[in-house]
This record gives sequence, C-alpha cells and structure tokens, in this order.
Amino acid sequence: MSQGADRQPVLEADALSLRFGAVHALRSVSIHVLEGQIHAVIGPNGAGKSSLLNCLSGFYRPQSGSVRFRGKDISILAPHHRAALGIGRTFQGIQTYPSMTARENILSGFHCRMATGILGALIYWGRVRSEEETFSERAEAIIDFLELEEQRHAVVGDLPYGLRKRVDLGRALALEPKVLVMDEPMAGMSTEEKGDLARFILDIREALGIPVVLVEHDMEVVMAISDRVTVVDFGEVIASGTPAEVSINPRVVAAYLGGNVA
Amino acid sequence: MLPTGVHSLTYADDARILRTSRARHWLAALVVALLAYPAFAGPYMLGVFTHLFITLMAVYGLYVTVGMAGQINVAQSAFVGVGAFATAKLSGYEIHFMLVIPLAALITGFVSIFFALPAARVKGFYLALTTLAAQVVFPIIILALPTEWLGGLVGMSVEPIRMGGLTLGAPIHFYYFTLVVVALLTVAAFNLKRSRFGRAMIAVRDNDVVAEVMGVPVFRTKVLAFFVGSLFAGVAGACTAYFLQFVTVASFTLFASVWYLGMLIVGGVHSPLGAILGVAFITFLQEGLHAFANTLMQSGASGGVLFALTSVALGGCILIALIFEPRGLAHRWSVARTTFQLWPFPRN
Ligand SMILES: Nc1ncnc2c1ncn2[C@@H]1O[C@H](COP(=O)(O)OP(=O)(O)OP(=O)(O)O)[C@@H](O)[C@H]1O
Ligand SMILES: [Mg+2]
Repeated sequence: MSQGADRQPVLEADALSLRFGAVHALRSVSIHVLEGQIHAVIGPNGAGKSSLLNCLSGFYRPQSGSVRFRGKDISILAPHHRAALGIGRTFQGIQTYPSMTARENILSGFHCRMATGILGALIYWGRVRSEEETFSERAEAIIDFLELEEQRHAVVGDLPYGLRKRVDLGRALALEPKVLVMDEPMAGMSTEEKGDLARFILDIREALGIPVVLVEHDMEVVMAISDRVTVVDFGEVIASGTPAEVSINPRVVAAYLGGNVA
Repeated sequence: MLPTGVHSLTYADDARILRTSRARHWLAALVVALLAYPAFAGPYMLGVFTHLFITLMAVYGLYVTVGMAGQINVAQSAFVGVGAFATAKLSGYEIHFMLVIPLAALITGFVSIFFALPAARVKGFYLALTTLAAQVVFPIIILALPTEWLGGLVGMSVEPIRMGGLTLGAPIHFYYFTLVVVALLTVAAFNLKRSRFGRAMIAVRDNDVVAEVMGVPVFRTKVLAFFVGSLFAGVAGACTAYFLQFVTVASFTLFASVWYLGMLIVGGVHSPLGAILGVAFITFLQEGLHAFANTLMQSGASGGVLFALTSVALGGCILIALIFEPRGLAHRWSVARTTFQLWPFPRN
C-alpha cells in the first residue's frame, strides 16, 4: 500500500532533540505517521529509536522540538494523559506486569477508560460490577484476537517470552489506541512467532484500522509489512520513504554495511 | 487454580471472590464458628479476638499500601493513632458512632496524604525514611498541641458507643462489634483488589515506568494507596478508641508499626488472605507462648527470664516461617490447595 494524498497525520514529531549529558540521542528528528499506515523506524543499535518512541509516549522530554497528536500539540502532556488520548505502546524486552494474570494485564490497560471511583471500588456495588463486566467482555475480545484463551488465567511471570510479548500487545490494545507504538516486538522470537506477530500487526491495521509505529531489526519483516520506513543513525534521520526507496538509498546502505557514504 | 468441573459461565463469575461452592461452605462455617464463639469463650479470649480483629483492620491497610502498591510504610501505627484521636475528639461532641467511624477514617486518610505527597516522589530506602518521619512526628505533634485539644501527655477518654438503650462496654459487645467491622473491611479489601484501582496499584508495584505509559497516573495512584491504606488504619483506630475507651500516644508506637509489617510479610503481601493468615498466626503464637510461660511460672520459674524467652521464641518462629516460605503463608496455602486438586498428579 502506498502513501495516499488524503491520509491525515496521526502522530507527528518535529525537530526533536534529546541529550543525555554528552550523548546526543536525537538530533532534530522528525517523523510523520499517517492514518492507516505501518510506519517502520529502523537503524543500528544505539541509533536512538527507543529514545524517539519514548519522546512520542512522553516518557522522555526532548530538550527541543514538539510532538503532535491529530494536529494537537501534546509536548507538555504527561505519559498517562497521552495514553488516555490513544497513544498505545509496547516495549522493548519484557515489560508486562509479572504478578498479574494475562487477563488482569489486559484489563489494567482499560484503567483510563473506566470511571469507577475509589469508594465504588471498595464497595463494588451494582454500577461498578456492571462496568467491570463490560470491560471483561472487551478484554475477552482482545484475548480472542491474540489467541490467548489458554493463558487467560496464567500468571504472566510464568509465561514464555513470546506469549508475554503478546500480553504486552493485548494491554496496549486495551487502551483503545488511535495509534500503536511498538518497540522491537519481534526481537528474540522464533521465525514462527515472528510470523504470528506480523499477522497480528497487519490485522491491527486492517481489521481495527489502527496505524502502527514499528521499530524492528528484521529487515525482511520491515520490507514485507511496512508502508513507510524512517531510518535513524547516530540520532539523525538519514532517510525516509517507502521500503523500496529506502532500501536503495546509499546512506542507508552505508549505515547498514558500516562503510562511508560515497 | 480451580478444581476441574468449575467453569465460569459469565464474566461476573470470573470476578467472584469465592469461586467454588467448597470455598463458600468453608466461609459459612467460619462465620458460624466466629458468631458462636462467645458462647464458649471467657472474657480474656474475647479480648484477644477483639484485638486480633482490630489488628487485622490495620494490616489490611498495609496490604493496600505495601502489598498492592509496593509503597513501604513504617507508620501504620501512627495512622491508627490519628484515627483513634479523631474518634476520641469526635465522640466528645455526641456524634453518632456510625458517623464518627467514617469521619475518623477520612481524617486519617487526609492526614496520610500530607505525608504521601513527599513519600510518593521517592523510592525504597528514602520512602521508608519519609514514612518513618510520619511515625516519629505523630507523638511530637500530639504532645505539642494544647492539652485541651487532644489531651497531650495524659491522653483522652472516649465516649462509649450507645446503640438504642445499650452502652458498649462488655468484652462480648466489643467482640461482635469489631467482628462486624472487620467483616466489612475484609469485603472491601478483596473488592479493591479486583477493581481498576487494585490493578493500577499492582501495576505501579510491578513496573511503574510502564504503568505510567499505559495510562495509569503513577503519582496519583501511589498517593491513593496511602490514602486508602489509611482509611483502614483510621477505622482500626476508631475501634481501638472505643475498645480501650481511652487513648494516649504511648499506644501507637514504631514497634507496633513494625509488627504490622511483620504480620503482613509472614502471611504474604500479595493477597488479603495473607493479612488474615499473618495476623492470626502471630496473634495465636504470641498467646500460646504467653500461656506456656504462665504455666511454667506457676511451677516456680522466674518471670523476667521466661518472658524474654517467649520473645526469642516468637522471633524464632517468624524466622522459620519466613525461611520455610518467604512468599508468605498465603502462598503456601495456595500451593497446598493446588497439590490437593491435582492429586495424584504432580504439580506442573
Ligand atoms: N535514559 C538514558 N540515559 C542515558 N543515556 C541514554 C538513555 N536512554 C538512551 N540513552 C542513550 O541514547 C542513545 C540511543 O539509545 P536508544 O535506546 O534510543 O537506542 P536504540 O536505537 O533503541 O538502540 P537498540 O536497537 O539497541 O534498542 C544510546 O547512546 C543510549 O546509550
Ligand atoms: Mg531500543
């Protein structure tokens, strides 16, 4: 699928700069994620991909630059407010809540969608009970979608890596995201698990209509599923375009082969 | 895990606290036993149980702050004290106890927010120190205030509870009164765990960085955990005040705060069941050791040495419990239940 002229931007970052002491993690990085697209962010280790994603979800505060969501400047919003707006996020490595069951992990993603007050939670009266049921139903839909039925009541800390990553994704979907930001969802997975996950990501875009920002090292997967690719190296965007355009860009080839730009 | 043959047909079933009919039968038996107990027990044992119920209320509060949200709190006894003094003061204005208890809980909750605001910004050791400050400041403030306000060094007497024509004074009255209150708080503690706030608190404990990005306001949730934990402490304080009919700062010590934590850890921090098992285990152990020491003393042993030895024995038993099951008695219980349900197949 190529870029359509009518697509609106969902999530945009403009000229983000982020320093950690002497380390320039990002130097004037911009990215424009459009409605309905899978937008890959690639680059060598330490290039600043996770830093970029953390700026999008608000966990890192860039020294300069702005982040916009559906045209609205969200640069000063706290991470939980951005989540409530609909920026879903999955994480590099294992970042699920280990002591909860898979179902509870997913339910926890609904926190900012639920209205029960603290007194209601202690008493658990009629309306609280029915709200809990409504959201259980939605959690079950996600469990169905991600084929986690068997693991529903399993404590996530006991699950194997691939399944935990799926729970992580389920929790992000529970936020009812308008855009999903995924950091290396396939790292450390077997080919089969990668295939499953790629299918889920495509389904998320097709069936749920949610655009995806995807950091991924596996070039084969990136080329196969993404609509646009942004390449980052040493905290800078060195190329941006369709997978085909990017893959023949000399700076990208150089960065990946470690040589000098001609 | 559930025994075979137990299935949830609705989502509400899945969220039930007691999911099997066997569990419901055991609970019913426990309730009947507790209701019937005063018919068989003397005033001393009724007092022990009343004390156990009140302790359990305070430890439920710690379960919320420490167990669910992972915020260490070594000032629970001071918060119980706030509830007790609030009750003493309010009871003097002839306010009905049904109003005094929730008011005392709320006052305690709001006092705790004052300490939670700085505490929720720091972690681990510094958090422990911040709450320690709350414990240390509590008697200082009470003693510094004018004596007419909260009684100063002397303390305050508490107007007893009047229900219709009855004035609560006998051990059996307090037994039933605190039994009802602790039953209500038990339901509240289990409810909180299965609500969105319970999940948010556990999320903060498990991974606060991720929780924030997943839409859980971490700072607010930590403060809320102190607030709710102190609501429980406030109710415990109100019951203490009515039970003792007199409150002084000397009753709410750091020592007691540490005991509350010890009970929760021995029982298991991850479920209200842990609070129940921990409080019951340590209370009965203490009572057993005292009874044993008393019999030895009647046969001529020296009192001072004996009571020192009971403390050592108590500490030893707690150590053994922790070495044997560091995740708490509640975990041991669920392992045993799973083994029983899977028998004759091995676990895993
Ligand atoms: N919290 C932090 N404190 C200090 N330095 C940081 C921090 N986060 C990232 N960095 C630095 O910023 C640079 C970019 O890191 P980042 O994690 O964004 O890279 P990445 O592209 O995600 O790499 P990888 O592929 O290994 O995940 C690195 O040099 C890293 O050491
Ligand atoms: Mg990274």
